[in-house]
Amino acid sequence: MEFVVVGLSYRTAPLAVRERLAFAPAELEKALRQLVDLPHVEEALLISTCNRVEVYAAARAPESGLAELRSFLGSARSVDGEALARSLYEHAGEAAVRHVFRVACALDSMVIGEPQILGQVKEAYGAAVRVGTARSWLCRCLERAFTVAKRVRSETRIAEGAASVSSVAVDLAQSIFGELGGRIVLLVGAGKMGGLAARRLRAAGAAEVLVVNRTHERALELAREVDGKARPWDDLEGLLAVVDVAITSTGASEPILSAARMAQVVKRRKHRPLFLIDIAVPRDVDAQAAKLEGVFLYDVDDLERVVADNLAARRKEAEAAERIVSEEVRLFGAWLRAQGVTPTIKELRAHAEAIVRAELERTLPALDERSHAKVQAMANAIVNKLLHAPLLALRHDEALTAAVRKLFDLAGEKEPAPEQPAPLATAKKEPP
Amino acid sequence: MALLIPVLLLYGLSCALYLAFLVAPRDGLARLARVALVLGLLAHTADIGVRCVHGLHPVATAQEAVSFAAWLLVGAYLVISLRYRSVVVGGFVAPVALVGMVLARLSPSAPAAVPPGGLSTIGRIHITLSMIGVAMFALAAAVAVIYLVSESQLKAKKIGILQQRGLPLATLDALGHRCITLGFPVFTIAIVTGAVWVAQLHVAGAALRPEYSISMMTWLAFGALLLARAAAGWQGRRAAWLTLAGFGGALAVVLIYLMRSVAG
Repeated sequence: MEFVVVGLSYRTAPLAVRERLAFAPAELEKALRQLVDLPHVEEALLISTCNRVEVYAAARAPESGLAELRSFLGSARSVDGEALARSLYEHAGEAAVRHVFRVACALDSMVIGEPQILGQVKEAYGAAVRVGTARSWLCRCLERAFTVAKRVRSETRIAEGAASVSSVAVDLAQSIFGELGGRIVLLVGAGKMGGLAARRLRAAGAAEVLVVNRTHERALELAREVDGKARPWDDLEGLLAVVDVAITSTGASEPILSAARMAQVVKRRKHRPLFLIDIAVPRDVDAQAAKLEGVFLYDVDDLERVVADNLAARRKEAEAAERIVSEEVRLFGAWLRAQGVTPTIKELRAHAEAIVRAELERTLPALDERSHAKVQAMANAIVNKLLHAPLLALRHDEALTAAVRKLFDLAGEKEPAPEQPAPLATAKKEPP
Repeated sequence: MALLIPVLLLYGLSCALYLAFLVAPRDGLARLARVALVLGLLAHTADIGVRCVHGLHPVATAQEAVSFAAWLLVGAYLVISLRYRSVVVGGFVAPVALVGMVLARLSPSAPAAVPPGGLSTIGRIHITLSMIGVAMFALAAAVAVIYLVSESQLKAKKIGILQQRGLPLATLDALGHRCITLGFPVFTIAIVTGAVWVAQLHVAGAALRPEYSISMMTWLAFGALLLARAAAGWQGRRAAWLTLAGFGGALAVVLIYLMRSVAG
């Protein structure tokens, strides 16, 4: 049995191909059943997100298994065969394990370290467990992948630093104010990014969002969108004097808040800090206002730069994460091999002991107890000495397992049945 | 003396670990640094205890008093660190404690450092309270430095470890304020008892000694800060600078006493 992966991702396939191949949640169960009906596929898991469509499987023979999975993906969807062939990648054995670990750790994600993918993999795994297409083989690998992802998160800073403009705005607000409970956000203008940032701040705990716009109807509309309250445009200065965070995103061609106007506002604020996020292009706030006491002024470029810095830091941390993944792949491989070899060693010993016992009974049935014990000890010693070298070799070379089984004519199942690991909490849930 | 080496080693180790955290912020480093600091504090406590048993009161000399203040500072920081994620503050406290211990225990003490017959009760009360005040002001000053650096970084849009792993500006500001509201009343009583003590000692030209006027200015600085906060809403940058000015005064007084104690 070999672990295999076939799939495509944003790295190899354009959106046009990805969206045609994607599986809706409702189609998942049927697809999983079709997968395990393939002649060489024993277990299967299907993950379908906007950035990747992948099948993880335990194949009876890697080559034939991979071929079947490829044709499954081709036939399941009406995708141009050539385009699909160009987009698909595949891994088997250790490379497949590494791929799954990297995906779970968000090392293969577009935004390195992003938190969603781990949840998506867990979901896909939960579905496969429910349908019954993920059993001992996939369980072992996936459960380990989740552990590795947890380890990477705690030992590296791969998931640190906001990766989008609006989440950087939230981070900065928290760097200034700490908890945002009780803080008031003012949204000036109707820009899309501004609304998004306001919503994120509200979600992060801000007490209230106030909205002003040159046309009051638009302000009312926006207030509904961001779950805030509309205020008259003429109150702008008075509002700036009381709020904690102000986001400006108007379409004005000249700065609406000159340095002099902001100086007036700051005077009224009595030293309280003001976080000014100017998302408008052209800018709404005169850059000179950044020099005023207690004013933290960030424009789009500043926020983008923080995002870029954070992403660069994540890429740097990714090197450490890759080392952890490599180590875990090695450990997992060694563990798997040990799992495969141990039953053979046990059987070989049992086989030899059975022969000793049978021969003893047959040739020397009338022996007294003391002599019987002595002869048995001798026979055991011979067997142990004879088996010592083969057993040692087995421990270090998994490939010999089959040879040993053949040489000693060991019956029993060819694939060791590993113990089923405890399924995840999510996997325990019954489908509604 | 036997306990001094572990104290210095542990504080030094803690400093190095905090410094390492500032360079490569791993949680493990922060934990180790804190453990080293806790162990250092325990050794320090034992050191002070042993000296007490031998009849050397924790504030008997200027050197002893500095060691006592360092002990208070570390203790106060560890209490704060139970509630705040204040690893970066530790990076300031540990070196200050280390330097304090070096000054306290490795500077030669003048033969007449301990006045004959020991300190009067009011002298002990004065020095003890002063050191509690100084320790709280030192903590407030450490927080103020971090505030000023973090604020200027945020203004200059240079986001670094202080923003990612440190405390928010508002929390730093509140923490500094809390230290001062705790330290100021204690320091006020220290000033009063100090005046009474000086009057009892009948020191010639007492009013002209620089440390007395610097102490008064320190007291005035912190008093003004509390007033400005309450009345005019002072906070942040201004409060941090005034905190540093006040602590500078307190530090100057301690150093004057220490130098006099060393020089005899």
